[in-house]
This record gives sequence, C-alpha cells and structure tokens, in this order.
Amino acid sequence: MGRWWVVALSEAVHGDKALAVTCEGEQLAVFRDGKGAVFALEDRCPHRRVPLSPGPVKAGGLQCPYHGWTFDGATGLCNDIPNLRRDERVPARYAARAFPAAEANGFIHVWRGAGTPAAELPGASYRAADREQTGSAVANIAFEQYLDVMLDGPECLLSFPGVHITDFFLGDPRRDGEHLVLDRGAVWKGKGNGPAFVRDHSLWVRTRVPVTGGDIRVELLSADEDPLVTIFIAASENRRGTTSLVWRGFRHATAAPLSWRWRMARAIGRAPFAIFPHIDGAAVAALEVAPSRDRRLAKTDARTPAERVVPVQERCAV
Amino acid sequence: MSEVPMMDAAGREAEVTSKRDWVPINLDLRDTWFPVAYSADIGQGAVRRIVHAQDVYLWRDGGRLYAAEFRPDRLEAMRAGASAFTNGSGFYPAVERYGYIWAWYGNPDNAHEELIPNIPFLPPDGQGIPRYTQRAVRFDAASPLSVENLIDLTHADFLHANAIGDGQSENDVVEVHSTSETVTRIRNVTRKSVAPVMRWIGGVRAQYQDLRAVLHVHLRNNVCISYPNFTPGYPIPNVQPFVPVGKHRSRVDQTNYTVHAPAPFRWLMPRISYVIQPQDNSVLRPQNARYFESTERRDLSSRFDGPGNRYRLLMVRLAERQQRGDFGYGADADPSADISAVLGMRG
Repeated sequence: MGRWWVVALSEAVHGDKALAVTCEGEQLAVFRDGKGAVFALEDRCPHRRVPLSPGPVKAGGLQCPYHGWTFDGATGLCNDIPNLRRDERVPARYAARAFPAAEANGFIHVWRGAGTPAAELPGASYRAADREQTGSAVANIAFEQYLDVMLDGPECLLSFPGVHITDFFLGDPRRDGEHLVLDRGAVWKGKGNGPAFVRDHSLWVRTRVPVTGGDIRVELLSADEDPLVTIFIAASENRRGTTSLVWRGFRHATAAPLSWRWRMARAIGRAPFAIFPHIDGAAVAALEVAPSRDRRLAKTDARTPAERVVPVQERCAV
Repeated sequence: MSEVPMMDAAGREAEVTSKRDWVPINLDLRDTWFPVAYSADIGQGAVRRIVHAQDVYLWRDGGRLYAAEFRPDRLEAMRAGASAFTNGSGFYPAVERYGYIWAWYGNPDNAHEELIPNIPFLPPDGQGIPRYTQRAVRFDAASPLSVENLIDLTHADFLHANAIGDGQSENDVVEVHSTSETVTRIRNVTRKSVAPVMRWIGGVRAQYQDLRAVLHVHLRNNVCISYPNFTPGYPIPNVQPFVPVGKHRSRVDQTNYTVHAPAPFRWLMPRISYVIQPQDNSVLRPQNARYFESTERRDLSSRFDGPGNRYRLLMVRLAERQQRGDFGYGADADPSADISAVLGMRG
C-alpha cells in the first residue's frame, strides 16, 4: 500500500521551473501549471533517461531539456515531440511516470506506491498559528536512523535557543495510530542548578515519530504542557544514505513563564528553533538505542503476516 | 486526424535494439586505432593517456615516438607485467597521422596502418595544422553515449540554441547509411535560421542559410568525422574522436579545421566547444549513470532517433561479433578509403 510523502514546501515550487526532489530514494520533478496546480513526474525522461527537472514548464506540461519532449503533469503522457509533421501523432503509450500530488498547509505531497491515494494528507495535521520558520535540507544521516534518533536523542537533530534537552524520557513511547509519541524533560539554560539536579523539568520536548512514513512533529511544551513551539518535519530517504528534510514551525503566544533568553530571542526575532542539516556523527554514535527499539518493533509488527514468520530456530532459542 | 506511425526505419531498428536493453557502458571494441593525443602535445616528457581504463604513456626520445604501457622510468622494471595489448613488449604500435598520435588497441599482430580512418580535409602528415584548430574537451559519459549525443540531431535545438541556432527551418531531411564499421548521417536543412555564432563573428549576414551536414562515425574507435557545409557560408570540417577513458568519461581531442573560414570566426569557432561541452555534460552526466545496468524499461524513440538507433544496433552487432572472437573487418569496411565524396566536399 502506498502513502503520501511531503516532498517540498509550497513556496519552493513556483514559476516556470520544476523543483528536483528525492523521495524514498527516487528522483522526482515537481512543478505547477499556469493555474497553480501541482504535479510530480519521475525525474527521468523515458526517451533518453536524462532528468526532466532542469526543463521548462510549458502549457502542455514539463518539457525535457534535452530534446523537448513534453509530458503532461497529471498523466505523464507525452503530448509533444518537436518537429513532428502535422499529420503525425505521438504514440499513446509514450509517457513519463506520474505520481499523484496534493498540497496542504504549505506542504506539497506526493503519493508513492500502490492503491488509491488516501484522503488525509500528513501535512493536514499542521496549522501555523503565528509567523513561521521554514526550511529544507539534506541531512547527512540515513532516513531510518533519522527517525530513530528523533526518539533516542532529538538534541542531535534540532535545538531550541536557550533550552537544554535532557535524555530523561517520560515513560516509554506511546502508540498513537501510526506514530510513537515520547516526552522528555528539558530545562532553560542558565537557570537553576542544571538538568542533573532539577527537581521538576520546566519544559518538555514531545516528539511524535512515525512507525512508517516520514511526518514528524516536535513540540516544546511548558511544564503545564502549554505549547511554546511546534515544528512539523517531513523526512524521506534521499540517495547515498542521506535524508531529505522539509519543515515548518512557529512559536506560540503563551502566558507560560519564559526565560529571559527566550524572551530576548523572541524580541529580536530570532528563530525559535533550528533544524540541523549537518549532524554530529560522534553524538549520534554515542546514543544508546532506547525508545527507538519500540519503533523498530512496531515496524516489524506492521509487516504482513507472511513477512512476520519467525524461523523455528529463533523461536526455540528463547 | 488518424495517427500516422511516427517511426519508420528508426522504429523498426528501435524494436530490434529494444529486445535487449542498450547498455553501452561496457562496450569494449578492439583491434582499432585510437587518436590518443595531438602530435604537437607530445615531447620528451611522458604524457599519460587512457584508453578503456588502460594506460598509454607517450613520449619522444631521439626523434622517435614511443607509446607504452608504463612510464619510461618504470618500463624496464614493469615490462614483465606487460599485457597482450603489446604482445608483452610494453610498447603499443603507434603512428602519427592527421596531426594525431594513433595508438593501437587490440592484438598488435593486427595493427595495420590502412585501418586508420581517412580524414580527407586534414593533411596526412599533420603539417600546417594550426594549433587554434585543436581543442581538447572532456565528456562526462562513456564514449558510446557521447557519440550518440553527437549523432543526435534534435538536442542541439534545446541544449545549444544560444550558440548553434534554434532549429527553425523550412525543411529538414535526414538520411542514414551504414556499413558494418561505420554510420553516416546526412542532414539536409533548407532555409534554417543562421546560427548566432556564424552571424556574430562569421560574416554571414543573411537571415537564412541551407545546411548539408554529414557525420561519418567509425564504430570501433568512435572517431567522428563531420563536414557541415553552410550556404551562404562555408564548411566547418571537424574531427571529434571520442577516446573511451573508461565507463564514466571520454576525452575528445577535437580538430575544428576552420582554416578556410573568415577571421575572426576561424580562431574563435573552435573555442565554442568550451560553451557547448558544459551544456552537453549537464545531461550526459546523469544520463550515463542510468545506462549502467540493463532495465526492463526500454527507451522510447521518435523518427528523429533513426541515426542513433542505427548506431546502437551496429554497435551491438559488432560487440557480439567480437565476443565470438571475430575481430576482423568485414568486406564492406575500409577505414582508409577516401570519404571525400561521402562527406560531400567541394572540389
């Protein structure tokens, strides 16, 4: 069964140029037509296999930069080969691979895999309530590891200014549909005796990580669980063990007590969070595999019964 | 309007080649001469060139040219490791002609000078070829893909329109001829827009010109001999030998023989490769990576791909023949035959 993936920010796809993205390791060309509708084609011309994304967007669709073959965004059908005679038609079977595409809340989604595209889009769960901070990057970490580290040590992947994220997990990951949700303590930097001696954490960081798929939600919460910052991060497998990231996030208006650093940062318009494109390998390597065990187990359970057959020796070894 | 088949001969040849995928990366055709360097580039110091990932060191000593598997200072020590390409001697057969050094790639016993391709517009002894006509460029693809790019007619309208022209014309007819060792593509274009480069610096003030462009490709060594003749205008004969460096790259020591064109065109035109080469590489680099392994997804073709599909078909046939151990040249092949008439040279 297929699924929707967030592949780009809405504002990154505009004009008469396509955007090259990689999702589940596959290269895609995402573009809009004159009316703003969004489309996704495999970034590979079926004629001579060159990428389509550098080509211009024409009335008929995306035009290959090499020989000018033009492909309809919705169907992938080739509707123009330059210099054909007027009585010649492009064979009906000539087509690039097309993927259903949809847009919601500032994210462009592409449906990949079998089945009818689901009605609900991952990005639909995100609603900005204040000025947003957005971005995209390719992180130097493999996709599955990115999801696991988001549970085991999100401080390796992101930060909130003036906030120390601890590794004290509040319980175990909680299953919420297709996601695992985990809270951990956090404290204001420079306030109190430091994270090791704090009686009660003044902040929480809640990570909501998918078992399968790539939509991650991270929230910085006050001690009373009032949201201070919400971030939606869309991750997907890029090439050569890297991960595509796209994110939007915002700072909530709150009455919760804040550190002077936080208030200062807000006053000068500093971003309320940072997503790391360059990840510290030593820090990741030092993380113990902890809550992410539950994700791996859940992922195994999500497989089909035929895939879950346990070898006899393995069962007997218990 | 009913659908008219878009493919004729091109389609049929595409069908033949599509029975198996086109995987050009591993084609390693032997028993042929490769123009590995300009003669003028080789002096006493050894220069390293590579053919099919195999080293060819070139140098002169005492007025004599050497082409060897090893650097001259290591030659004696490494000679025991010399390959069958030099019959264990360490030295390749090498000949100088048309301003190039030609090194034999294959069984040295089969190295005959009459297998060097004829290039009728260049002096055989290489004397008097101006250096401004010689430009070395590198392509980010295996040689066969680079040659396909050159054979391909229609990509220039999109990739190179700013230099070569937009491809607009009144009539555009393509013929393909071939032997077991060559493909010849002839393009006759009537009333095409004058190429910007020819208008800016070539002295052609007309709005339109006719073009008869002949490209003669030798399959084994990827030597492409081209004779585009513009009216009004002049011919721009050129040689583009795509020496296969390896599976990812090819090197081309071009000779754009513009000596009969007006100045400053004759000096500047050979440098156009520095504009065109990056444009080609922008598509060749990702394209090459997608031809490494056989796939069930066959390339689609239009009738404009006729010459390219003929090239694919003949290359596969030649490779299959060599895989069977037949490295000989067929009765229809004579690389050294005068091709002046084939190219349509005047006078």
